[in-house]
Amino acid sequence: MRVETFELEVALLRGPLAVIEVGGYINNEAGEAIVATARRLLEEGHRQLLFDLKATRIINSIGISLLLEVLEMVMEAKGTLAFCSPSPSIAKTFQIMGLAQYARIFESRAAALDALSTPS
Amino acid sequence: MAEAQRVRILLPLQPQAELMATAAVERVGRSIGFSRDTLAEVKLAVVEACLNALEYGGGQVEVEVVGFPEKPPRLEVVVVDHGPGFEPATLPTPSLQAQLSGERKRGWGLELMRHLMDEVDIRSAPGCTRVRMTRREGGR
Repeated sequence: MRVETFELEVALLRGPLAVIEVGGYINNEAGEAIVATARRLLEEGHRQLLFDLKATRIINSIGISLLLEVLEMVMEAKGTLAFCSPSPSIAKTFQIMGLAQYARIFESRAAALDALSTPS
Repeated sequence: MAEAQRVRILLPLQPQAELMATAAVERVGRSIGFSRDTLAEVKLAVVEACLNALEYGGGQVEVEVVGFPEKPPRLEVVVVDHGPGFEPATLPTPSLQAQLSGERKRGWGLELMRHLMDEVDIRSAPGCTRVRMTRREGGR
């Protein structure tokens, strides 16, 4: 049976912004790694977390529940949670959940960086 | 009219077993002309059905994927477990707002299945839960 791997890398730290690239399958294990990374970045003072999902192939509801934990942590820190480059199916999943009410979702990393670097 | 494509599998009790079902969906879906984007949505729904069956079924999970080469093509996926069963009507609709202020953040699986597939039919009784889902290419 083919096992889907998971990759997570902090790709950019710039002031309050941290860009985290997430690839593969976001399930329980991947979600827990995402929560741990987000917690560390928030503790280090990065209150804008941008998750780049360009290489994310699939997500399940357990992974989603852990992303909601990240959202809760970011809201408590009065920060901003953003996602960019989701596949159409993941974008639809976020839309079903109503996630755009609480997190910013961008089609590309360039669009996200442009928006997040502009004071709102 | 070409014949329906049919794959039956038993999911092993091991991590990521649900991906065996998505591989079957991919194979059958492609053979009848499903697009990548529609297949991705079907696979998300099938992952959720399988995760529920593996988590609550407590044993063997059977998956059948049938592809009908109609115009437009249609996929039917049936996931069966032999757990204690549940009453689908009693499951609350998840609310992101409520979850953000509460402890429990799960419960999105069935909601996602219903939005990603054209039809979701659940028959559940002690000893057998059967989830049947269909999706046409370009549906939803």
